[in-house]
Amino acid sequence: MLTRRFTTIVAIAGLSLACVRLPDNALGANIENVPAPPLLAESVSAVAASPDAGEPTLRARLDELVVAATPNFASLASPRSSDEEFVRRVYLDLAGTIPTGTQTREFLANQSPKKREQLINQLLASPQHARRLQYVFDEMLMERRVGTDVPDADWQRWLRESFRENKPWDQLVTEILSADGVDEQQRPAAKFFLDRKFDVDLITRDIGRVFLGVDLECAQCHDHPSIDDYLQRHYYGLSAFLKRSYLFTDPKTKKKVLGEKAEGDVKFTSVFTAEEGQTDPRVLDLPGIPDPEPAKELYIAKPASKVRGVPAYSRRLQLAKAMIAADNVDFRHNIVNRLWALMIGRGLVEPLDIRHSDNPPSHPEVLDLLADEFQRHNYNVRWLLRELALSETYQRSSRLAVDSEQGGDASAAFACGHLKPLSPEQFGWSSLVATGFSTVTMSAQEAALLKAEPEAAANKKVDPLWREETLHKALKPELDLVVARFAGQGGQKTGFDATADQALFVINGANVEKWLKPQGGVLTDRLLKLDSPELLAEELYISILSRSPAEDETAAVTSYLDSVSDRTMAIREITWALLSSAEFRFNH
Amino acid sequence: MKTPTSDTLSTSTQTVQRPASPPLPENPIDVSQTHVVTEFKHDIPLTTCRIDPTGRFVFAGAEDFHVYRWALSGDDSSKTLFTGHQSWVRCLDFSCDGRLLFTAGYDHRIGIWNAADENPSPIQMIDAHQGWVRWVRVSPDGKLLASCGNDNLVRIWSVPDGKLRQEFAGHKRYPYAAVFHPDGKRLASFDLMGVIKDWDIETGKEVRSLEAKFMWGFDQKFRADMGGARDMRFSEDGKALIVAGLTEVSNAFAGVHKPMVLCVDWEKFEHLHKWKDDAYKGMVWGVCEHPEGFLVASGAPQGGNKGMLWFLKPGEEKPFHSVTLSHCARGLDVTPDKRQLAVPQFDGKLCIYQMTAPHSLS
Amino acid sequence: MRRDIGCNHIDHQLSRRGFVAGSAAGAVAIGGLLTPAQAEAVKSGQKRILQVFLQGGLSQFESWDPKPGTRYGGPFRAIPTSVPGIHICELMPHIAQRMHRLSIVRSLDLKTNDHRIGRLRIEKGRTAGDFPYVGAVASKYLAAENPPLPGYLHITTRGLEDNTNAFLGAQHAQLKLLGVNAPENLDRPASLDEESAQRRNEFRRLANERFAGRGGQPAFTEAFDSSFEMARRLMKRKSLFEQEPSAKDIERYGSHPFGVRCILARELLSNGATCVKVTHHGYDTHAENFNFHLEQLDEFDKTFCMLLDDLHDSGMLESTLVLIYSEFGRTPKLNQRYGRDHWGASVSVALGGCGIVPGAVVGSTNAEGTEVAEREVSGGDLFHTYFRALGLDTSANHDIPGRPVPIGDPAASPIEELLA
Repeated sequence: MLTRRFTTIVAIAGLSLACVRLPDNALGANIENVPAPPLLAESVSAVAASPDAGEPTLRARLDELVVAATPNFASLASPRSSDEEFVRRVYLDLAGTIPTGTQTREFLANQSPKKREQLINQLLASPQHARRLQYVFDEMLMERRVGTDVPDADWQRWLRESFRENKPWDQLVTEILSADGVDEQQRPAAKFFLDRKFDVDLITRDIGRVFLGVDLECAQCHDHPSIDDYLQRHYYGLSAFLKRSYLFTDPKTKKKVLGEKAEGDVKFTSVFTAEEGQTDPRVLDLPGIPDPEPAKELYIAKPASKVRGVPAYSRRLQLAKAMIAADNVDFRHNIVNRLWALMIGRGLVEPLDIRHSDNPPSHPEVLDLLADEFQRHNYNVRWLLRELALSETYQRSSRLAVDSEQGGDASAAFACGHLKPLSPEQFGWSSLVATGFSTVTMSAQEAALLKAEPEAAANKKVDPLWREETLHKALKPELDLVVARFAGQGGQKTGFDATADQALFVINGANVEKWLKPQGGVLTDRLLKLDSPELLAEELYISILSRSPAEDETAAVTSYLDSVSDRTMAIREITWALLSSAEFRFNH
Repeated sequence: MKTPTSDTLSTSTQTVQRPASPPLPENPIDVSQTHVVTEFKHDIPLTTCRIDPTGRFVFAGAEDFHVYRWALSGDDSSKTLFTGHQSWVRCLDFSCDGRLLFTAGYDHRIGIWNAADENPSPIQMIDAHQGWVRWVRVSPDGKLLASCGNDNLVRIWSVPDGKLRQEFAGHKRYPYAAVFHPDGKRLASFDLMGVIKDWDIETGKEVRSLEAKFMWGFDQKFRADMGGARDMRFSEDGKALIVAGLTEVSNAFAGVHKPMVLCVDWEKFEHLHKWKDDAYKGMVWGVCEHPEGFLVASGAPQGGNKGMLWFLKPGEEKPFHSVTLSHCARGLDVTPDKRQLAVPQFDGKLCIYQMTAPHSLS
Repeated sequence: MRRDIGCNHIDHQLSRRGFVAGSAAGAVAIGGLLTPAQAEAVKSGQKRILQVFLQGGLSQFESWDPKPGTRYGGPFRAIPTSVPGIHICELMPHIAQRMHRLSIVRSLDLKTNDHRIGRLRIEKGRTAGDFPYVGAVASKYLAAENPPLPGYLHITTRGLEDNTNAFLGAQHAQLKLLGVNAPENLDRPASLDEESAQRRNEFRRLANERFAGRGGQPAFTEAFDSSFEMARRLMKRKSLFEQEPSAKDIERYGSHPFGVRCILARELLSNGATCVKVTHHGYDTHAENFNFHLEQLDEFDKTFCMLLDDLHDSGMLESTLVLIYSEFGRTPKLNQRYGRDHWGASVSVALGGCGIVPGAVVGSTNAEGTEVAEREVSGGDLFHTYFRALGLDTSANHDIPGRPVPIGDPAASPIEELLA
């Protein structure tokens, strides 16, 4: 039934191609003002599920549920975000960086009533979006581990390409949980296992947290002392999928891969009650998956010192199937909660990996709706992000409509926008964009291209993919420094931490100093050339905070410039002040 | 007790060894035929060994704090216990006549014993250094005893009364070994950092100092020094100082380094030959000179138990022969007749090798 | 000449020339010579922690649990201490003279031989999982309201990058000081004078005020502001990192890196730090265990004791918990390189100061030191003990929303006999 409906949607999608193509005067699919390539099919199929298709959109339904969940919602609710708020927010969330001043101005000048939707479509189709999801999922899945057996670059490319082609989440997870590292093409997917050294306890816990949203840590040694739902058999049920597998060093390539034995059961004993248990592989409370009657030959390849064991029946390969199975509700609850948290700023379940009956979702109907629809749409990540971005809930202003005492209520009701700390990557990219360092770098790369490949240059330099990859490569050293300083505990989370050494990096660091040096057309250089303090303030605020200054802010800039004899210094100082401000540090 | 002169040594040893058979014509030294003749056993790792100047006994220290004596010609039943130290003994020497045994203890003391006693107990225990006594050596005239220890001092004692005569200060780090020059006028010492000092016994002054830094390594990661001599001797003619140890330390804390034997030209006071084994990670624990113009060295690997005997010609890069031992060597000595070698091992065995073809029984 | 080799003459020897002189020296050392900072530290009532981490795995045989003359005892001797009946290895003669200020736990079983896991178990007091380190917990619950220094400072040369604060805020994470170097970026850029720095910061402050005025999640904006405030305090305290130690301090502590670091640790503790961890590297002795312990402990023993003396003489020891620990101990069996390998099954640690019964020994190992014989203790038990000694209820939950996480492992409990 569900499958059939989905097929229909895809069919309609083909027909509606023309109507979603952006007008020529729009911003273009590349977020840097170059002509747009045709939109990718996935965005199109997403659009197909619009009211035109005859049923209410997910966004409409979730907005309704959010409002209905809180009796006094209307009195708490902030209005829709301004265009200035929105443009910065959506660039950060979907493309991983603030917009350039030019991009902001173009968006603000656009008079189309559909301009928000157009921008969302454009950003979702951009290579920057794939990069953004690469960062997000790398952190979510690998939690900033240092790569050992699978090079980070391979894994990141694999993730990026997966998101560029909008690989469905269930397929991505299947590839990760089924990878043994043998096939070179799929080896990057084995990073989840291999770079955890195939430590079964660690992997069991991380599968629980990352893919199911439950932390079984304490259940390893005893039923969780303070959380009734977490049972030892949950923990051992998951680890039973993995217990027979082991790290094997391929004698030829010397690479680590996974081998597996055909036998071995999981037993456990509680350290509190000394109670013993035994379990088949199982996902939480779903039925166990008993081994089939053993075949005559237990092995395709029998494990030996130089032979990687391949059993006739692999328990490990059952894991992905059991994970994505329709009856595993936790699997889709987890991912929609994480994607919601990514966009909205706070999970429906918080913390993201601790869902249990004493810590239920704040809006269970919303969670169920998202999970069901996500499954119905074939785990289409881009579709879900688009629906979320188009929702009123997402687009609400973060400026409180109520006094601060009620701020917590508004926030809990999703009646206002949330502050989202910029991730290290967002902070790095945004700093480079704000200071104009990225634009200058891109121009230099174009010039270099023109010199190196004069014939191909004209086509290449408008290719969004070439531009994204080239700029990323050129700025990676800058970015890595920021990430090293700002990346704390790995793993997706919605809280905020700030340390003294991060502040010192901003206050005194040589990188920030370099970005602020007025030379070669960076922001401070441009500002120096503006004689009028009003124009200067405008350029400054649009470039860094993606908004025009208020009157009093322009006045403050003017008086700052008046009060400091060295104009260059004054410009550097105020640029620094905005770059180091809270308004810049958060997505709001 | 009869104390044979060195001239009678070889004869007496041979007679004892094969009392029942008529004297056989001696097989010539043929290193390539080196083979085990005796294995003495102990259940605790050995730390060092020496053969006494009479050639009757072999002595070894063990990690159980004791020193043991075996009759070279005997079997395990000849094992005799020397108890008195409260820590490991890692160096032994004898009076010229072989009557007295001197033991250097990690319990800060030097022991003086009658080497041949049936129920040995120390004649004297000298509180010799603050910290380990790492080395003892008797002077060629037998009147002096040199020691060095963890107080960075080299000290000279009178024999036999054990009185402190002189103290040589100058090493900045632990001196590992100190030996008399055959002329009896000088003393050479070698420390952790590979610093070699030449001391004038008469004046007590440091005459010369030479660095062999390649026998030392600083582990940047762990911030610690590794080096020093594991054995040191003068050649009989006094022209060369021969030092055993390590070189090219790449990971001190895992013991990753190469074995090294250094020959110093004593007159010119410069490095003459440096031998190392590039293919073997480990340490040289003992080195002896052989009158037929070669050196024998014993060693232990970094991993595994492939102890080695290397036979080296001065100046040559590769050993002209080598023998794999049954376990890691902890020292080396040669019998006065220069036909046999004793090797103490980590597995508690003390192995006696003969550097000739075996006698055929026919 | 001594012939009484059967008797434990080392005891006599040491008690004569050793600790009698030592304790006398300790008693007269300082009197009324407190620095104003130390006097303030004592007066404030703040509690703090000094951690000395002997990285790599200190051998329990060559330190707190000597077994001379046994199969695996090694070559070093045991010496008596200022506490009758307690013997420690001869490599720590200065500590022996101050044993009455410390206590030993000889029966820690960490159940791992892995550096990282061992370290995590002893730092977090949990067998696994993301929990905050001792230092982060101290920063969270012991630090003053607006501490003059970050709560958890770690003086080391090598980066052991780890998530030390876990779910506690990042301001409680360890701030790593590379040796005695100041934290990075403590110097204003050359292009910026003090006046400009203040001016631009004022502009920033006004911008932040305006932003905060729009409401919403004040905890975020406040945490952000406090990180800049902490940075400013560190910049002000830059002199702490810059002042050359006095000749007298160098003479007492030693001019080696560990000596200078311990001098810095004293300064930090005296100036409002909550937890200072000093790492002494070089105990992972898979080869030449004895030569290396000789070197390392020679450096550690005297230097640590100078720091202990200074804490005691200034009165700060009463409010300072002192911990000496490694990620595990070393194997009884010697390997063929005279090394000892990793050993988590019978480990010793020492502790003293605030809230700890001094001069005690808890637990024991069997005759050859191959396993715990009495009073087995876990990393979790130690963790409870530390914070109970500092007056924290370790059975209470952490102050974090969303999940009830007890501060100490509920499966572990404090070592009551060590609690003063």
